[in-house]
Amino acid sequence: MPLILAVDDSPSMRKMVSFTLTGAGYQVVEAVDGQDAYEKAQAQSFDLVLTDQNMPRLDGLGLTRKLREHPQFKTVPILMLTTESSDLMKQAGRAAGATGWLVKPFDPARLLDVIKKVIR
Amino acid sequence: MAEMHTEGGAGGDFDLSQFYQIFFEEAGENLDQMEHMLLNLNLETADDEELNGIFRCAHSVKGGAATFGFADVAELTHQMESLLDRLRRHELQPNAAMVDVLLESADTSRGLLARHQSGGEGVAPPTADLVRRISVLAAGGGPAPTPVAAAVAPVVAAAPLPAPPKPAARPDGVRGLQISIGPLDRPEQADAIQELFRDIPGLGSIKAAVSDRSGVRVFDVDTTSSDEDLLDLFAFHVAREKVAILEQSTDHVEPPVVQSGGIDQIGFGFFDGSPGAPQTPSTTEVVATPVMEPALIIPKATPGKVASAAAASQPEAATIRVAISKVDQLINLVGELVITQAMLAQNSRALDPAVYQQLLTGLADLDRNTRDLQESVMSIRMIPMSIVFSRFPRMLRDLAGKLGKKVDFVTQGEATELDKGLVEKITDPLTHLVRNSCDHGVEMPADRIAAGKSETGTITLSASHQGGSIVIEVRDDGRGLSRPKILAKARERGLDVSDQMSDAEVWQLIFAPGFSTAAVVTDVSGRGVGMDVVKRNIAALNGTVEIDSAEGYGMKVSVRLPLTLAIMDGMSVGVGDEVYILPLSSVVESFQVKADAVSTVGQGSQLVKVRDEYMPVIELEKVFQIPRFDFERSSDIMVVVEAEGIRVALLVDELLGQQQVVVKNLESNYRKVPNVSGATILGDGKVALILDTGALVRRSRH
Repeated sequence: MPLILAVDDSPSMRKMVSFTLTGAGYQVVEAVDGQDAYEKAQAQSFDLVLTDQNMPRLDGLGLTRKLREHPQFKTVPILMLTTESSDLMKQAGRAAGATGWLVKPFDPARLLDVIKKVIR
Repeated sequence: MAEMHTEGGAGGDFDLSQFYQIFFEEAGENLDQMEHMLLNLNLETADDEELNGIFRCAHSVKGGAATFGFADVAELTHQMESLLDRLRRHELQPNAAMVDVLLESADTSRGLLARHQSGGEGVAPPTADLVRRISVLAAGGGPAPTPVAAAVAPVVAAAPLPAPPKPAARPDGVRGLQISIGPLDRPEQADAIQELFRDIPGLGSIKAAVSDRSGVRVFDVDTTSSDEDLLDLFAFHVAREKVAILEQSTDHVEPPVVQSGGIDQIGFGFFDGSPGAPQTPSTTEVVATPVMEPALIIPKATPGKVASAAAASQPEAATIRVAISKVDQLINLVGELVITQAMLAQNSRALDPAVYQQLLTGLADLDRNTRDLQESVMSIRMIPMSIVFSRFPRMLRDLAGKLGKKVDFVTQGEATELDKGLVEKITDPLTHLVRNSCDHGVEMPADRIAAGKSETGTITLSASHQGGSIVIEVRDDGRGLSRPKILAKARERGLDVSDQMSDAEVWQLIFAPGFSTAAVVTDVSGRGVGMDVVKRNIAALNGTVEIDSAEGYGMKVSVRLPLTLAIMDGMSVGVGDEVYILPLSSVVESFQVKADAVSTVGQGSQLVKVRDEYMPVIELEKVFQIPRFDFERSSDIMVVVEAEGIRVALLVDELLGQQQVVVKNLESNYRKVPNVSGATILGDGKVALILDTGALVRRSRH
């Protein structure tokens, strides 16, 4: 069963993402910000990372950059959930090593569609 | 700890409403935090961390509101976020007008959320004016909201939050324009017009283009608006003569800046060749286009700036959220356990220790464990005073502004804990005291300077534990109480006063109903009704109020409260076969009385003389119509109790002892009973009523 790391500082968003994913048969580990996620990623590997952008301590871009430094996260898809869909944001996401982005707000079905495209 | 979820669910199609409650709580916390941070924001020295923190609060609320479909909240918080975004990027300098409008917006957002939470009942608070004011400020305009600006940000029911889709081919009526602005000394001014397109739905789309002249910004714009309208809008940010609008050829198609495997309109995409990206994206989603212009690949703003990594350490709070009903249930159960334990202890007294040694040891352990358990459970209901204190900075800010005074607010002992039930009940009296300090205590800046004080007054709110009580003090360094004025006022009102009274006695006079020496009755602290209400409310919590003051130097009001309402030190008294509990805090003394010490005056009222003082006698036997079978017996013990500053003597049969009692609410379990404030269960399982001494005292007056 694919294991997904869901990172968001907002409990409601986290719960919604987590509920959506578990409902579709994925296993989910939640993290409350980038730093928490980074620590959790040290302990186990994941099949996908879904991360919010704007978070305290370590943001989504920072998390992506740090994860990409680790061999076991070189090829893991990292999707950024962001309210900003500006080109600048995309440039930054790409430069950090993100796989793609999903604009917030999104509905659960959309999230699952996108995940199905990257999880094998 | 990682939270694992493995249970199956309904799949992707489900009801978002199950997350509403979490969102409402979270949004409330974010708005509170934002308010707190805004109030503490030093406009001149605001640092990135603070501004980012405030931004993140608005950002989180917006994200959640948009996701869960609360469009009005999303729209307002989106505006707040836009303004805060410019602040944290240091494109604008924070000012008081911004803080004001953000505070108001936070209030309004709370109102909107509360309405959604209650299922959309009532009228939604208006947001149009706020939205307009914020957008004027965010655009770098002055705080004055002129009606002209109305055109800038029309009221929108639901702002589409992701940037409006950019169609490759323009629909009818949409014109492709190239707008150049400049040359300007500060070209970044021109960037404000991008905000306009983001903030005004329906205006169209805008994209920065490459400029070949320094100081000039060029934008590619798709819009249905006329040139004249656009120039009017832009006039807020840049002088009209600096703007040049050129019609683009209709077949011009923008090269996508980022090559992506997805189309923006559907809200997601992948970076080609990035790790884990789908290798063969389905054709419907691909707009395969060649490489973008190099000038835009390396944006001037470093990703670090966009990311604005917040170094603020916000450790995960090690708390859990539990429904208050569960805690109350727990407290009730422990209360029952305490009663059972007391019953066992009482029944075991007759046992021979030599024979039942093990049983008695076990009971002693049970006694200790029960008390520890009770203490721990009671501490769950304890919440820090900061919950109460946190509402005052905002209130004082508004109040001082209204009165034209300058006030610093200092809090001490915010971590001091108090029972939740008490916290709720103490909030109103404290609010009154703090308002009084600001309104009547602290002088106008000019008066303060004339009195040789600093222009800014200080109001201090402190809380501390002293023994089994909590003491809350409200101090100000204002004008203090005037002894001559209070005495004069008291004489005017026909109160019995003399010049020999101690200061403490004089200060107590202001607790008399309707007493006010304020020269001007303001709309803030009312008209002198108040201190008596404050005192009565605090007395109802078994608390006391004391005043200390020096004219010209300020005033201190100390409120002393028990730590909890659920347990009380009581004195049990017997009348006939009944047992009643008196709050120990109200008991002054008790003595045996001879029949001739009681004298009867008009209408059958009785008085007893205690050390040259006459006080009314209340026969509990008559108050509660207790049947008496032993006709020879009559009550001969007086217990003097004091409430609301008045003493009365209660006539009872016997004193049974002092004990801690678990207070049970009678109203919620039975109904309101006159002269009774609650009930408790005694060690032998019998119910005893707890007497409301305040009510008994009032009864004696009539």
